[in-house]
Amino acid sequence: MADQTISSERFAVLVEQAGLKLTPEQFAELHDGYRFVQRMQRVVRRARDRAAEPAHIFVHPRAERP
Amino acid sequence: MDPTQLTIAEASRAIADGSLSPVALTEAYLDRIAALDGELHSYVLVLRDQAIDAARSLAGRPRQGALHGIPIGLKDIYKTRGIRTTAGSRRYLDHTPDQDAETWVRLRGAGAILLGKQETHEFAIGGPDFTLPFAPARNPWNTAHYPAGSSSGTAVAVAAGLCAAGMGSDTGGSIRGPAAYCGIVGLKPTYGRVSRRGVFPLSYTLDHCGPLTRTVEDCAIMMAALAGYDPQDPASADVPVPDYRVALTSRLDGIRIGVIRHFHEHDAVAAFGPDSAPSAAYTAAFDAACHTLEALGARLVDVKLSPLIDYLDANRLIMLAEAYALHEQDFRERPQDFGHHMFARIALGAFLTAADYVEAMRQRRELCVEFARALDGIDVMVSANSTGPAPPIDAIPTYSTFERASYTGPYNLTGSPALSVPIGFEGGLPLAFQIAGKPFDEAGVMRVGHAFEQATDYHRQRPPIAAPLPGRS
Repeated sequence: MADQTISSERFAVLVEQAGLKLTPEQFAELHDGYRFVQRMQRVVRRARDRAAEPAHIFVHPRAERP
Repeated sequence: MDPTQLTIAEASRAIADGSLSPVALTEAYLDRIAALDGELHSYVLVLRDQAIDAARSLAGRPRQGALHGIPIGLKDIYKTRGIRTTAGSRRYLDHTPDQDAETWVRLRGAGAILLGKQETHEFAIGGPDFTLPFAPARNPWNTAHYPAGSSSGTAVAVAAGLCAAGMGSDTGGSIRGPAAYCGIVGLKPTYGRVSRRGVFPLSYTLDHCGPLTRTVEDCAIMMAALAGYDPQDPASADVPVPDYRVALTSRLDGIRIGVIRHFHEHDAVAAFGPDSAPSAAYTAAFDAACHTLEALGARLVDVKLSPLIDYLDANRLIMLAEAYALHEQDFRERPQDFGHHMFARIALGAFLTAADYVEAMRQRRELCVEFARALDGIDVMVSANSTGPAPPIDAIPTYSTFERASYTGPYNLTGSPALSVPIGFEGGLPLAFQIAGKPFDEAGVMRVGHAFEQATDYHRQRPPIAAPLPGRS
């Protein structure tokens, strides 16, 4: 479940910033879909220890095997 | 008899003892495609002449292994040199690659024959979309129903007997979802186990390539050719590959299995509402499947993880951000080249911030650690797959990807191997569960799936359309 919490005017600013040129139908559909973006943001944005990093490790390719 | 009724293991034995030729098997599949695919739409390109030539070229050559002379299909995001590869999009409608996907190179090297390229959701995310150049594939159990996606054509073709096996891709469930709805087996291997080189990407850190087959044993045969280090895939892992078929047994004595019940029994409705509730038939089938595993000697223990939505929305946010980055320029400059669903879904990635992506990746790391710890002392986990039968194909909302519960995405997030296996039927349509394991333990996952198959007959049931053609039985 995800509730709509952004006005058309504010959403138009986001679309402009993204550089997308939308038809009225596309604008309405993406505006409706934006509630899912907001839900995802709520789910992943939470208090974490600063040391909780997404631990990237580097693996270099070996030489081609025979 | 009709050789297309045989599993890969059975056909391979027949080819080895000379009672079946690769040419006869290939022609039988091509005849079925010609007769039935007008209704199923599983292929976007059939390579009749090339397939027969390839089968003939195997005559007199030493048998290369269990895939020698076995006809397969590739989802149309796998690049094939000199053969059109569209990614299901107008954007690449005339695209003919000058390279082969590494997985196809390996399968061909093992003796597999390519029947054709199979229908995919646009760029493995936009479907079922009736605005695309190719009609969406239809569920072979009931063509009014959805086969799931995005590896739709491959799953449909395998289930309907239009190829012996095929290759799909899986970023949030695109192998295991279609396997579930079509009543076949689908494996998403460990991230890094199977090369993704030469496959159109959707989301770099979540994409996996893997096989769709009729049985777990066939899956093991495919994996024997597919698994292994590819120095030219940046995410490939240099990890030894075991003999997968040796690991297949009919008993599970001493195996410890974690059961993740709360994902489907509680979390789905709590986060996504009553539309995501599992059907009563599904819950009963899942419980019966767990009892079967116990009867095979496994010890089951309930496992509690973070809520399903924590896994799902981290997976979805990462997918959106990475996919949008891939397509941003085209979305700005040539949006008319994309189908409705692809554009509506992936354009949402434009509204995420860099901080959103980093937070999702931090959450991903936490959940990977949680899942690894939960597997301590446990061999494999079982959890739900799609928790009801396939819905009608014309009833899939644009944002179905985001508004309903899904049970496959958590294992893309963790990179774990995960296998979908049929566990029953509801209203004549298949049901399935997942078996997930430790990194690079595809053998352990397939062992449990194979033992389950030996104790049940769901994988032997075929849709009516898979029956032999008249005069072939």
